Amino acid sequence: MSTPTLQPQVSADVTRVDVPASPPPKRRRKRRNPLPYWLIAPALVVMLLIHVLPAAGGVVLSFKKFNLFTFRELFGAPWNGLENYRSILLDSDNPLHSGFWGAVQNTAVYTFWTVTGTLVGGLAIALLLNRKMRGQRVARTLMLVPWIIPSYVVAVLWAFMWQSDVGIINKVLVDYTHLLGHRPVWLLGPNTMWAIIIPSIWRGLPLAILIFLAGLQAQPQEVHEAASIDGAGPWRRFRYITLPLIRPLIGVQLLFGVIYAAYQYAIPTVMFGTNPGPDADLMMTFIVRQSFSNSLYGLGAAASTMLMLAMLVWVAVWYRVFRRDLEVT
Amino acid sequence: MRSKLAIAFGLIAVVLALTVAACGGSSSDNKASSQPAANATAPKKGTTITFWIMPNGPQPQQDMEKTVAAFTQKTGVKVNVEVVGWDVQLDRIKNAAVSGQGPDVTQAGTTQVPFFAALGGFENLDNRVSEIGGKNAYAPGVWQTTQLQGQKGTYAVPWFTEARAIYYRKDVLKKAGIDPATAFKDTQSFQQTLQTIKDKVPTINGKPISPFGMPGKKAFDLVHHVMPFVWDNGGAELNSDASQSTINSPEAEQGVDFVANLVKQGLFDKSMLERDGTQVENQFKGGRLAVWIGGPWVLSTISRTDDKNWVPAARANVGVAAMPTGPVGKAYTFVGGSNLMMYKSSQHKNEAWALMKYLSGDEVQKQYADVLSFFPARLAPQEQVGQSDDNHKAFYAAIQQGRTYAPIAQWGPIENAYKGRFGNILDSAAGQGKQPFSEAEVKSQLNAAAKEADALLAQGS
Repeated sequence: MSTPTLQPQVSADVTRVDVPASPPPKRRRKRRNPLPYWLIAPALVVMLLIHVLPAAGGVVLSFKKFNLFTFRELFGAPWNGLENYRSILLDSDNPLHSGFWGAVQNTAVYTFWTVTGTLVGGLAIALLLNRKMRGQRVARTLMLVPWIIPSYVVAVLWAFMWQSDVGIINKVLVDYTHLLGHRPVWLLGPNTMWAIIIPSIWRGLPLAILIFLAGLQAQPQEVHEAASIDGAGPWRRFRYITLPLIRPLIGVQLLFGVIYAAYQYAIPTVMFGTNPGPDADLMMTFIVRQSFSNSLYGLGAAASTMLMLAMLVWVAVWYRVFRRDLEVT
Repeated sequence: MRSKLAIAFGLIAVVLALTVAACGGSSSDNKASSQPAANATAPKKGTTITFWIMPNGPQPQQDMEKTVAAFTQKTGVKVNVEVVGWDVQLDRIKNAAVSGQGPDVTQAGTTQVPFFAALGGFENLDNRVSEIGGKNAYAPGVWQTTQLQGQKGTYAVPWFTEARAIYYRKDVLKKAGIDPATAFKDTQSFQQTLQTIKDKVPTINGKPISPFGMPGKKAFDLVHHVMPFVWDNGGAELNSDASQSTINSPEAEQGVDFVANLVKQGLFDKSMLERDGTQVENQFKGGRLAVWIGGPWVLSTISRTDDKNWVPAARANVGVAAMPTGPVGKAYTFVGGSNLMMYKSSQHKNEAWALMKYLSGDEVQKQYADVLSFFPARLAPQEQVGQSDDNHKAFYAAIQQGRTYAPIAQWGPIENAYKGRFGNILDSAAGQGKQPFSEAEVKSQLNAAAKEADALLAQGS
């Protein structure tokens, strides 16, 4: 009884599989609708005009002797070959040389701590908010507040809070809690790096929390329950279930976090002005200052191009590491 | 495949068409705008000219419209006043000069004039300035700001002027037993006054007060505050033909050292280095600083009850003194302000000049400078404002001893380089530098500043 019933099912399946393979390739191509291409065309044109063309223009200018004396000539400025790149990287007489390497180092430190702080902090808070508790909604809403504050305002607020004599941070650390015996100076010297890293993490946390929370809530509870029954504790469940499942989310945030941090400009500029000093001068503050305040457009374009290339390398490295996660998602 | 190709070619064609259209548009505009203006000498009635100003004073647009109303009435030339923010003015004035798409007349900072003149988009006013009295109608330091070193020509007319002077608290000096007449006479007595205030007046009316403070690298005008001490010691920013930096000369080093040592000795409140210019100004108004260096615009705020930054004790006790005399026997100060420049691309040059001439009238100068609490740029009205009271007298004296920087196109970048290095020196004197404060560190920072400046100077060669 059972065999005849099974047979038609199998044959039916086979037929179903065969059906899509049968139409000739020519007809399938004809059926493809060009409308989607026309729909994305305006976006593509705008991207080419406002993104690709200026970037290409910047790369061309990086090979030119383009400064205030040749400013009127723009693309007609004298060709300078690789001189701009050589002098920034190797020539200690070039005014940009020492500042460039300082800015590279500062940007690496800033990016590392900002991205690490944002992702680790974001995940930790998301795990806390994912637990059932009273006031959960209020806590989630409050956590999102820094996200709606513009970077400019964040920097202005923190610049006041960091002031060593009357700022609230030293008041809390020294006057109220007596955690420190002396008043640290945040807006001068080596601490200036922390003075921009901490507000940047504060500003970036809400988005990280939001993304991680969405990921955590989408996780099947059955897996956690099964693991619990098998005797897995909270750490092992986090290490072997939660973390692998949110790996794609970590990957995407890492990609954008590093790019965003490497291009950070608003917070240090608002906090310290056009020259944040040797301890907090990032690539973007350095490039903007040298290009536009100091009219060293060609050298600035070369530094920008190098930063852009560094980001392309980062995207390539990232792609190799997270390619599998992209396929999964 | 063919349809994909068609779409791709279509997109490229659109991009190219738009690009060509954009380029074509700008070049044809350039041609049109570079055509000479009509050859009439008198301003034509009914013409409208555009005038860019920066946010001068609390109500820049209204104040300027009020000022030019009489000009319009007299000449029939309408003036379209546009306020351009200080944060973007450098780029906008520069881009307008290059593209030929700009106003007829613009305000420009005095130290920016050589840079704009070197760009080539501004009118040489040599043939016209005799109508406003030329060079002799202005103090030498003020007139110098209209020139570009190495080129014959006058690229701007001075508009309004400012200089830096010492603000002090009369009640603090009285409590310390110091005579204001000699307190800031020379650099030695200046330092001694701060030391006495530190020792004898740590508080006033029960509140702590620091002897002195000024902003560090966060202030746009840090160089204006340090250079007077460099000049006082016989140093200079550049050599006489502006071909090489001299900021690392022993004399310049002495001047910078003098300021840095005030920090080191605790006479200069180092927390002020964390603040920008406005914030430090408010510290003086708030009664937390006994001595401070500032411009004339603060004078008018003393009587303004809506300026809540003043505490009553500070408001009632403001004194002004000229900058101290240095070892070379002169009391230098920085003299700055704003000038007016005419665009070469202007289609209404006669009308533009009529406006510049009107704004250079003695009475108009006095009225507008009064609104802004700056000083008129011209000598005659300047003197009148200078005689109004003791505090204005001190500023008038300062302007006469005023000095500005070499009028070269690269000055802006060089000033930025100096500012960064002066900032590093003050930070290290405050114990916050990359290297600990020492004579060798000051020398090394000034050598680096000179090297950067020389590289910037070499650009023009």
